[in-house]
Amino acid sequence: MDTILQILASGLTLGAMYAISTAGLALVFGAMNMLNMSHGAILALGGYLSYFAVGGMGLPAPVGVVFAVLVCAAVGVLIYQIVARPMLRSANFETRIFIATIGVGVILESIILETFGPQPKPQPVSMPGSLTLAGVHLPYQNLMILGIAMLLMAALGFALQKTRIGRAIRATAQNRDAAQLMGVRIGYVYALVLAISGGLAAVSGITISSLSSLLPNMGADPMLKAFIICVVAGLGSLPGSVMAALFIGVLEAIVQYVFGVRFSFALLLILVIIVLIGRPQGVFGRVQGVRL
Amino acid sequence: MTARQRDITLCLLFSGLAALLPLVSEVRYTVTQTTFFFIWATVVVQWNLVFGIGGIFSLAQMALFAIGAYTTAMLGYYFGTSMILAMPIGALLAVLFSVALGLACLKLRGPYVALLTLCVAQVLYLTIVNDTDCFTNPPSGCMPLMGGVRGFSRFGDLGFRELLGSGFYVGRYYVGLAILTVAMIVSIIVIRSPMGLAFQALRDNPVYAAARGMDRFKYQLWIFGLSAFFTGLAGSFYAVNTGAVGPVVFSFSHLLFLLSMIIVGGVGTIWGPIVGALLLMFAEEAMRELGDMRDIGMGLILVVCVVLMPRGIVGLFEDLVRWRTARTAHAVPLPRRETV
Repeated sequence: MDTILQILASGLTLGAMYAISTAGLALVFGAMNMLNMSHGAILALGGYLSYFAVGGMGLPAPVGVVFAVLVCAAVGVLIYQIVARPMLRSANFETRIFIATIGVGVILESIILETFGPQPKPQPVSMPGSLTLAGVHLPYQNLMILGIAMLLMAALGFALQKTRIGRAIRATAQNRDAAQLMGVRIGYVYALVLAISGGLAAVSGITISSLSSLLPNMGADPMLKAFIICVVAGLGSLPGSVMAALFIGVLEAIVQYVFGVRFSFALLLILVIIVLIGRPQGVFGRVQGVRL
Repeated sequence: MTARQRDITLCLLFSGLAALLPLVSEVRYTVTQTTFFFIWATVVVQWNLVFGIGGIFSLAQMALFAIGAYTTAMLGYYFGTSMILAMPIGALLAVLFSVALGLACLKLRGPYVALLTLCVAQVLYLTIVNDTDCFTNPPSGCMPLMGGVRGFSRFGDLGFRELLGSGFYVGRYYVGLAILTVAMIVSIIVIRSPMGLAFQALRDNPVYAAARGMDRFKYQLWIFGLSAFFTGLAGSFYAVNTGAVGPVVFSFSHLLFLLSMIIVGGVGTIWGPIVGALLLMFAEEAMRELGDMRDIGMGLILVVCVVLMPRGIVGLFEDLVRWRTARTAHAVPLPRRETV
C-alpha cells in the first residue's frame, strides 16, 4: 500500500512538472497552429537564468524566478516578431515554423553551452527538507512543485475563461479571420501567447532542474514528453493536456517501478505511436471538420 | 529534348565531371570529404521526394539511414556476410520499415507526421542505447545485440584495400558517386513522371487529386518505400565507408544538418537538395575552426533560409528566371486591338 502511495506521489509530481511545460506548448499550438520546437531550449534557458540570478548574483529566489520568467517571455515575443510573423500567412506555415524553431532551439542551446559550459550545475532555487505522511516520503520541493503547478494551471484556466484577453485568445484559436473581423488584434494575441508559453517554460525549467541538475540540453526530454502529452490529449486542448500530463506522470512512475527506468521513455513513445495511429486527433481532441 | 531527358543528361554530365576529381586531386582529405558529400546528398535527394514532392514532413530519414547502416554492420559482425551482399539487404530492410511507417502515417497530416516519425526514431535510438545486456562477450568486452552505446566496428570491407592498396579510398569514392548518380536519376524520373505529378497533386490539393482518382494510399506507400531504398543504401555505404556504426547516426545535429541542406537548396526542386548539400558541406568546412560556434552558425543558416527564402536558393533562382522572362515577354508590343 505504501509503495502504491509513494508511486502515486512521485508520479503526480512528475505530472505536475509536465503539465507546466505542456500547457505552454498546447496554448501556442491551439492559438496559432505552431509547434514550437525551441520550447526545450527556452526551458533550459529559464533554469540557467535562475541559476545565474540566484547563484551568481545572490538575488533572493523569488526575484530570480521572476527574472527568468520575464526574460523567457521576452524570448517568446522575439521568436514571434523575428521568426513567426514574417511567415504567418504563408501556405506551409505549420511545417516552416516547425523547421525554423528547430533552428532557434539550436541557437539558444549553443549560446547556453557557450556561456555556462557543459558541466551539470545545481539549481539554487529549491526547498530542502521533507515530510512523512502515512508512511509516504514527501520532499517539500515536490509538494511545492505540485502547488505551483496547480496554482499556475488554475490561473491560466481562469484567465482563458473569464478575462477579456482570454476570450480573445480563445476566439483566435477557434477562427482567426472571424476574430480579426471582430476587432481582435491577432498580432498582439500571438505575441502574448508566445510570451505566456515562454514564461511557463521558464518555471518548468526551474522545477525540473531543481529535482535533477542543469544541463544545456536538459530541455530535449521534457519537450519531447510535452509533445507526447499534447498528442495524447489532442494538440491544442488545454484542459485535456493537463489531465494527460498527470496521467502520463503517474504512468511513467508505475513503468519505472515495474520495468525499470531505462525502458520508461521508450514505452511512453510507443504509447504515443499507438495513440497517433489509432486516434489521430488525440484522446481529448475535438474532431475538426477536416475533409478527406 | 524533354525536361526529363535534359535533367538526366545534366546529371550524367555532373557525375562525369565528379569522376575526374580523384585523378586531378592528390589530396586524400578532399576525396574522402567528397565521398561523405555523396552519402549525404543521396539521403537528401531521397528525403526531398517524401518531404518536397510528396509534401509529407517525415523526420524518419535518419532512422532509415541507421537501419541500413546497422543491418549491414550486424550482418558483417555476427555472420561475416560479405559487404556487397549486406548493403542491399540493409536497403531492403529500410524499405520494409518505411512502408510500415507509411501505413502508420496515412491518416495523419502536417506536424503530426513529424512527431510520429520523430518518436519512432527516438524509440529506435533509446532501445539501442539503453540495451546493456551482453549478447556476446568478445575479448574487446561486452557486446549488446545492437552494439549499445559503443556501436560496431571491424565488420567488413568492400575489399578495395587488397585491390587498390593505399588508394582504397578512391574505390569507395566511385561507389559513393555511383549510388548518388543512380539515386539522383531515379529522383528525376519520379519527379518528371505521371507518378511525380500525382505526388504533387496530392500535396497541393488532396481533395481534387482524390476526385481525379489518385489513390493516396498507393502513392504514399510507393514514395515511402522508394525513398527508403536509397536512404538505406546510403546508410549501408556509410557503415562500410567509415568502418564503424554507433548511435551517433541518430543524433539531432545530423538530422538538423540534413534538413538544412534541403531548406537551403530548395524544398521540392530537382536540384535544390544537391546544391544545398554542396553549400552546407562547404559551410561546415569553413566553420570547422569555430568549434561550438558551428551549431549557432547552422541554426542561423536554417532560420534565415526558412524565413527569407522558403523555396531555397534554387527556388529563388527559378523565380528570378521567371521574372526576367515575364519582363521580356511584356516588352514585346501586344497586337493592337481593333476598335469597333
